[in-house]
Amino acid sequence: MKKALSLILALILVLSLAACGNKDDSSAAGLEETPTFIMGIDPEYPPFSYLGDDGSYTGFDVEICKAACEKLGWSFEVFGVNWDDKLVQLDAGECDCIWSGMTILESMKEAGYVLSEPYYDNTQVLLVKSDSGFASSADLSGKDVAVQLGTSGEALLSEDGDLADLAATFNSIVTCDSFLKCFTELDGGAVDAVFVDLPVAAAYAAENEGFSIINEQLGAEQYGIAFRSGDTELCAAIEGAVAQLVSDGTYAEIAEKYPDIVNNLLLLN
Amino acid sequence: MSLWTMVLKMSEGLGRTCAIFFLTLLFSVPLGMIVAFARMSKNKVISGITRFFISILRGTPLMLQLLAVTYGPYYITKSLDFISISVARNKLIPVVVAFAINYAAYFAEIYRGGIESMPVGQYEAAEVLGYTKTQTFVKIILPQVIKRILPSITNEVITLVKDTSMAFTVSYQEMFTIGKQIANSQTSFMPFVVAGVFYFVFNAIVDFGMGKAEKALDYYQ
Repeated sequence: MKKALSLILALILVLSLAACGNKDDSSAAGLEETPTFIMGIDPEYPPFSYLGDDGSYTGFDVEICKAACEKLGWSFEVFGVNWDDKLVQLDAGECDCIWSGMTILESMKEAGYVLSEPYYDNTQVLLVKSDSGFASSADLSGKDVAVQLGTSGEALLSEDGDLADLAATFNSIVTCDSFLKCFTELDGGAVDAVFVDLPVAAAYAAENEGFSIINEQLGAEQYGIAFRSGDTELCAAIEGAVAQLVSDGTYAEIAEKYPDIVNNLLLLN
Repeated sequence: MSLWTMVLKMSEGLGRTCAIFFLTLLFSVPLGMIVAFARMSKNKVISGITRFFISILRGTPLMLQLLAVTYGPYYITKSLDFISISVARNKLIPVVVAFAINYAAYFAEIYRGGIESMPVGQYEAAEVLGYTKTQTFVKIILPQVIKRILPSITNEVITLVKDTSMAFTVSYQEMFTIGKQIANSQTSFMPFVVAGVFYFVFNAIVDFGMGKAEKALDYYQ
């Protein structure tokens, strides 16, 4: 028994050492050859970025970024951030950009982040259960509304946000750590509505029965890509590559796969 | 947002953090005792089942248990298509249930360790002196056990203070969640510093109180 145990321990030790060795080799080689572009995404934000059926990250933003990196000859990696810590993780160098249906906020510009030209026109909507009978935001007065922490929707509903007056009519605002959790809360009857970006709501309502959207075009805003302050060249390189994708038709080809969002893409319309 | 408004705003959440903390202790301390007895039961079936549940509760992350208690009943009843239990609007209920069950498992093992560490000679002596089993336990064993396990209990209680932040995963708006909200809207790291100070002060009070209790029980020194 003791012998077997020590053998196993020795084996684990050797294997872990071997694993270390491998890692060192590959990263050293990778650095010298092609630059790696690490894209920071919210892994639970369909249709822009999510875990696909094959177990790898996909979505409109992920596909565009991948194609852009191919154009530039860079190797491409995806890094799932904690959406409410995204800018800290960007600053820490865990990823090179935040590109995941991210709303451009004034506060980001003020904080010095380099932001791309907007590529998507977005509005916020309220997703409700179809059988609830809610038809307008006024019907939700005194009700509970869920919103994802760290999203522009949360900022709009906060005390100094643009929709603070609307927020004041709600009974409570429940902040969840992902949209899927917001939808679970709605489905499970813990909240009455979810305040969410239109494309995300549309994608969810299309895939799941019994939900409808109250589209009052609340809080018009635009999506963009955020880079660390000083990364102006990186931003220009990515924007250049995306422009090439638009001119050679790849962009439109990818966009066709996402019918919910195609009408609001600024680079196509 | 000034530092003061930040602190005020987070203090609102501190009340909810305290609610988790005190309610969890209120339920898990006695529940742990019951579990400890079930675990030490001479009945093999009872002790076996208890042992199995303790191993599940200690062997899976608390975060997972929180999710299971909050959303589990809804998903299970939905898939069975029999009755429907909706997700609780007041998240304090599932949060406290999950915390109390989890901590009871840890407390039970601490109690068991304390009770089993008592020498058999004491039971024999008590029997000779005519004590009943209950008297032996309440008057002789328990006071010594409490003294002996207090440092381990303090450990758990301190962990509990910090674990309350996990209630965030089920969208319970406690202090850390509010801190995160402020950190986001203000693009600032300050709320986390404030949260750190809050937890530290909370634990310093716990530590002080438990230290006093230990001293008070140290009547033979």
